[in-house]
Amino acid sequence: MKKITSVCPYCGAGCKLKLVVDNNKIVRAEGAQGVTNQNQLCLKGYYGWDFLNDTRLLTPRLTQPMIRYQKGGKFVPVSWEEAIRYTARRLSDIKANYGPRAIMTTGSSRGTGNETNYVMQKFARGVLNTNNVDCCARVCHGPSVAGLQETLGNGAMSNSISDIENSKCLLIFGYNCADSHPIVARRVIKAKQNGARVIVCDPRKIETARIADRHLQINNGCNMALVNAFIYTLLDESLYNADYVARYTEGLDALRETVSGYAPENVEGITGVSARQIREAMRIYAAAPSATVMWGMGVTQFGQAVDVVKGLSTLALLTGNLGREHCGVGPVRGQNNVQGACDMGVIPNQFPGYQDVTDPQVREKFARAWGVDPALMDDQVGVRITEVPHLALEGKVKAYYIMGEDPLQTEADLGLVRKGFEALDFVVVQDIFMTKTAEAADVLLPATSWGEHGGVFTCADRGFQRFEKAVEPKGNVKRDWEIISLIATAMGYPMAYRDNQQIWDEMRALCPLFYGVTYEKMGEMGHIQWPCPTLDHPGTPWLYEGNRFDTPSGKGQLFAAPWRKPAEMPDADYPLVLCTVREVGHYSCRSMTGNCAALQTLADEPGFVQINPQDAEKLGIRDRQLVWVSSRRGKVISRADVNDRINQGAVYMTYQWWIGACNELTQDNLDPVSKTPETKYCAVKIDTIADQSWAENYAQTTYSAMKQRLREAVES
Amino acid sequence: MNRFIIADASKCIGCRTCEVACVVSHHDTQDCASLTPQNFLPRIHVIKGVNVSTATMCRQCEDAPCATVCPNGAITRDNDFVHVHQERCIGCKTCVVACPYGAMEVVLRPVVRSIGAGLKVQSEKAEANKCDLCYHQPDGPACIQACPTNAIVCIDRQKLEQLSMEKRRRAALDNMSSLTL
Repeated sequence: MKKITSVCPYCGAGCKLKLVVDNNKIVRAEGAQGVTNQNQLCLKGYYGWDFLNDTRLLTPRLTQPMIRYQKGGKFVPVSWEEAIRYTARRLSDIKANYGPRAIMTTGSSRGTGNETNYVMQKFARGVLNTNNVDCCARVCHGPSVAGLQETLGNGAMSNSISDIENSKCLLIFGYNCADSHPIVARRVIKAKQNGARVIVCDPRKIETARIADRHLQINNGCNMALVNAFIYTLLDESLYNADYVARYTEGLDALRETVSGYAPENVEGITGVSARQIREAMRIYAAAPSATVMWGMGVTQFGQAVDVVKGLSTLALLTGNLGREHCGVGPVRGQNNVQGACDMGVIPNQFPGYQDVTDPQVREKFARAWGVDPALMDDQVGVRITEVPHLALEGKVKAYYIMGEDPLQTEADLGLVRKGFEALDFVVVQDIFMTKTAEAADVLLPATSWGEHGGVFTCADRGFQRFEKAVEPKGNVKRDWEIISLIATAMGYPMAYRDNQQIWDEMRALCPLFYGVTYEKMGEMGHIQWPCPTLDHPGTPWLYEGNRFDTPSGKGQLFAAPWRKPAEMPDADYPLVLCTVREVGHYSCRSMTGNCAALQTLADEPGFVQINPQDAEKLGIRDRQLVWVSSRRGKVISRADVNDRINQGAVYMTYQWWIGACNELTQDNLDPVSKTPETKYCAVKIDTIADQSWAENYAQTTYSAMKQRLREAVES
Repeated sequence: MNRFIIADASKCIGCRTCEVACVVSHHDTQDCASLTPQNFLPRIHVIKGVNVSTATMCRQCEDAPCATVCPNGAITRDNDFVHVHQERCIGCKTCVVACPYGAMEVVLRPVVRSIGAGLKVQSEKAEANKCDLCYHQPDGPACIQACPTNAIVCIDRQKLEQLSMEKRRRAALDNMSSLTL
């Protein structure tokens, strides 16, 4: 029996845990004294590791390389040599025939860690010579990164998870921490106990709304109008910190002009909350000696998302809630290493350490370090993952190398994504499970999982933490960065790394922001927050000391924008709003949690559609009945969860169900800057099913047939 | 006086970690990987209303109606809690009806029975299922340890007296001080 120190592979809270291992098998997970979690774990942290044992509750692990030589044919097991040779040849051919930008690659925000992401973007930029590398930050906090980089200079939480409980006011906007980050929810509860005022802006009565001083139960899709009304109130009632604004910010006059039409009284119809509630919320926020704004997907998954992020950071700037302890802006990252994936440059506009690809000096620095001709480096911003289906249909993207992502489950408008996949010449999927995306691949490259390798993750508050290998992998699998290195070598760029630390040290040397974060400094339990520029630097718990912002002028940029309606409004045919959400027991595409016995026992297919009792009654739907949910793009079966906490006129589905897949219904109206889809808003209708026993049977047989198909795909 | 477990609704986030911890704690192998929908039989239940999320479980009543009505003497008071002796439970469900909190359930637990000659068959055993304060665990109730927000606490005589004292003080000093009689 031994105990291995690791970091939870699920949300971005960065919980340190001990995996108790006996005879190369994990027997349980225990909380460890990490900086963010202080010995606590949540449901997934305690009971979310048995997917490693290939339980096949949902889908099997990938255990050998396979190739589908003919489109529509079967997977054939092959040797690693053949898999690498074939992949390298196909990618080289496509690069030669269509150019580097015809190849799209992804990093992974999940269990593989920072080292792999560094190597993947090096492969894309140095070997393929394209900036076409992205990750699922695009469909989650991409707008937070883009928005905050512009207004404050850094696209991350300005504060620390451990400091949330010391803030005297929490403004929680479109963020359901109880379901997405229970260990952050714990900090919110502690803040409340410490006397913080809590303001929640959310259309549903979420857990945090229960303990809030003010719950603004807003209409879906009103965000920018509400933020503008907040800004209007701060200016109108002179609640803002005029001295701070004068010294540290820019753009007050333009801001005043933009929000002039957004008096709270004028936008009651859009926001669905009274002017009094809006004004009171801002009086509380502005009066607090320290205040923190926290937000989640309820802000970012809209067609107007970057603007709202910039508006929320403006609230902090107007009230001087930055540049010191206990306050700030907190876009709490969803996946365990989505902050790290962005840190490592698996984004199409920046190298590791947030260095712009359009800056010739930066390109030259990386090219020299990698031994590549700087002239070969791509000088344009690359393709975002959400643009791939369109570009594939236009014939501009021909190959897609997907690592540790499941776009055929997690992206908006799956019908469109499938069409895009069909138009591609060559799809490589490197994963640990036979996901729906893996099923559509031409080459399958099986990788080691979290638990089977070590490395470094970045948690949501910019904290780098090491995690260790607990068990030996089974099957003919390889570490992700080793697979990428082999392909690079076969394509004529020799690449070989001894271990994670060698990659880490190469990365540090190229990134001033992270240079001081050594393996030794992180140690077993350390949590080193960037910026950490020198070897003796302890890391930075809160950003913008001295109120110097990392913007060109050094000042915070005040911003507001006119409100834009969501793209698809409800109408007579599709009268309800569909908003996609999370649930606490499952994670991302569910390939991991769906293979964990306890988590799968708590909730299984076809999943739920949450609906207000009055809407349910109008439609004649009883709790737990199966129903059809359809939009202009698709139709899926789901189970009604008739629930008083849901606002009228809207329904909510979680995106991890493979049968009741709500992304069949969503639409890809993208934010113009971050290209994040509007998965929080589309029009749907619900139809009852008269024969419930037929419906139960249909859901069950469809599910069984899918599981059977995925098992057969692995065994072929 | 019996000890009992209670959840603080102001801290509960409705995540059901307690339910899984309860099931694992009462499982032979203590292994969460062996849970199935059939053997998932928690003794603690998360309940959500519009304004409340909390967990409910047995109050370990001093004059326990479940014990009073049990026709087979399967429920007794041992070591400061109300204890069901499963070997005597016949699954008659009288205790379920008697319990005012809905904390008692009769469940069918999958078991493997030996039928002689080394042969084993899958079978089911009726059990009156309720909180036993994890009396078999050296570290005490599993739900308390697992709760991510520390919403679940065990109350004993001392803690209860302390709570009452605080309430009396609050009633006397906060509310009554402004009364002019």
